[in-house]
Amino acid sequence: MIKVKNLFHSYSNDEKYAVNDISFQVEKGEIFGFLGPSGAGKSTTQNILVGLLQLQKGEVEVAGYDVKQIKNKMFNKIGMSFEQSNVYNKMSGLENLEFYGKLFDVETRDPMDLIRMVGLDGKEKIKAGEYSKGMKHRLTFARSMINNPEIWFLDEPTTGLDPAIASNIKDIIKEQNEKGVTVFLTTHNMYIADELCDRVAFIVDGKIRLIDSPKQLKLKYGEKLVEVEYYKNGELLKESYSTVVEEEKNKLIEVIGSNDIQTMHTKEATLEEIFIKVTGRGLV
Amino acid sequence: MKLWYSFIKELKLSSKSWYFYIELGMAIVLLLVLLFVVPENFDTKSKEYIYLDLPQVVRDRFRDNLLEEDLDELSQKVEVEANNTIYAAELYETVESNIYLLDSMEALDAFSNSERVPAVHVRVNEDNQIVQTYYLQGYETQKLKNLLLVFQNSKAGHDVIEDYRDNIVVKSIYQDAEPLSDKENILPVFLTFNGSLMSLFIIAAYIFLDKDEGIIKAYAVTASSVWHYLLSKIGVIIITSIATTLIVTVPIMGLQPNYPVMILFLVTSGFFAASLGLFLTSYYKDIVQAFGALYIVIVILIMPNISYFTPSWDPDWVKIIPSYVMLQSFKEIISVNGNMSYVMLASLGFAVLGMDIFILANYRFKKTLTL
Repeated sequence: MIKVKNLFHSYSNDEKYAVNDISFQVEKGEIFGFLGPSGAGKSTTQNILVGLLQLQKGEVEVAGYDVKQIKNKMFNKIGMSFEQSNVYNKMSGLENLEFYGKLFDVETRDPMDLIRMVGLDGKEKIKAGEYSKGMKHRLTFARSMINNPEIWFLDEPTTGLDPAIASNIKDIIKEQNEKGVTVFLTTHNMYIADELCDRVAFIVDGKIRLIDSPKQLKLKYGEKLVEVEYYKNGELLKESYSTVVEEEKNKLIEVIGSNDIQTMHTKEATLEEIFIKVTGRGLV
Repeated sequence: MKLWYSFIKELKLSSKSWYFYIELGMAIVLLLVLLFVVPENFDTKSKEYIYLDLPQVVRDRFRDNLLEEDLDELSQKVEVEANNTIYAAELYETVESNIYLLDSMEALDAFSNSERVPAVHVRVNEDNQIVQTYYLQGYETQKLKNLLLVFQNSKAGHDVIEDYRDNIVVKSIYQDAEPLSDKENILPVFLTFNGSLMSLFIIAAYIFLDKDEGIIKAYAVTASSVWHYLLSKIGVIIITSIATTLIVTVPIMGLQPNYPVMILFLVTSGFFAASLGLFLTSYYKDIVQAFGALYIVIVILIMPNISYFTPSWDPDWVKIIPSYVMLQSFKEIISVNGNMSYVMLASLGFAVLGMDIFILANYRFKKTLTL
């Protein structure tokens, strides 16, 4: 669905590249996470993919369209949810969605269905300017689904939302993905990426350092340990055992068989830890 | 259809915006000023204060000459005030001036010194010659002094000058067009600046507001073109300028202007100005950054006003400033038997130029959507 080959971009039209020779592919039905700290080149890449920035050098294909010569028709297949809410403040939530629905050539969704989906029902007739930041964000998110996109670009979709609403947004993303929608997720939130993405790309200083699935990354970079909490002679003990070393594996089996186990976790590395390990950089 | 939906949306947004009501309000304020404050014609008659320090016979003859020029051939006994003192005077009202005959040298001094107006002392010298002494203020140009000399010589009966003067024929270049009153003459200035050129600034304000809210980016990722968005904004601004123009023009001018041509010209000149505004805004992120460029444009566009009110200053370079053509066009539109060919040609010019600039602006906007 997305093919990027040797993409470069410079804001100053010189050799200072904000995006420096990156290549990747996103398959149909995949949730692809584009992860990196601020200024890494995430938004620049996403803006090129959706035509907000002109392609300078490289080859980019989105939904079968060459981004070098963008056709309006391409946007019938694309949905874009921006990090900064950008809705008409003087129009109500419903009016916003109704208006954007008219700008596509394909069958669009019922604005009220979307309003309900993001939990704004009952507030659809209030001017968007009177919405809270979180409500505006949800409206922007809902708008990006109005044309039933085949490829859905999401820029920090849960930023600034409270946990319950963020969870609702994640469920919607999963639900849409199950229906076959390809998702390109740009974020610096490793937890949401870990939870949602089939594959992630780590980008730092305009270069992709690594592309793989979160599971593979954890297997490759995480420590293979199990942490156990158990009572022995009335005393709560906490120990870690390797799942690779034979002796420790046997110890673990013994502990499980003869003690009152309180908690037991595989000790995997988080995506954030892996990111730091791979790139040598934090995510802020 | 997408263009139509965008236009309707912009119309709705405008009706909810302060700019829209400020424009309508300003048009009403200007209408009230023109109706109730500005006179139909400004009183441009000069005032002359003369003391005839002459023998009675000569004085009577002078008075008789003045009476011949008086509009109703009657003088009026009036009282005039200078330096907090009331003086008696005789007023002769001619086509070009109000002439006050004062009755003492003291009154003449009072007017010359405290009121700082030109005054004339007319007397007879030892050789029985009439001597006219002008009390000027010191800032008069040599040209004016020369004119006074010519005037006095012609009065004194220098036949050559008088014959020459009498043989001068003044012809109006546009003999068919009737001159506008002073009040009507102000109207083209308003129509140019509120009707056409405000489009430049209003569209800049609208665009920067949308840039601030990120609206353009959201529009750019739909299946509609950016030019739909830009043109729908221009459409709304032109509708507003037509409304404000009619608010002011209809009560003042009635049915005299050529309204179809006026609307055509408002559309083309507004399209040109708004496209120029779009082009300018495409280079800047917000109105603060654009302020310098907008200020320069404002200053340049104001220049033709000087030429409009001072026709003797009309250099060629002023004539290529768009507001010059707009001023002249609106003047022709509201005049009886105005030169419509000029207006149609100007409309065509603005339409073609506007289209070129609009295409450039659209190209610039597509390139700078993330600004």
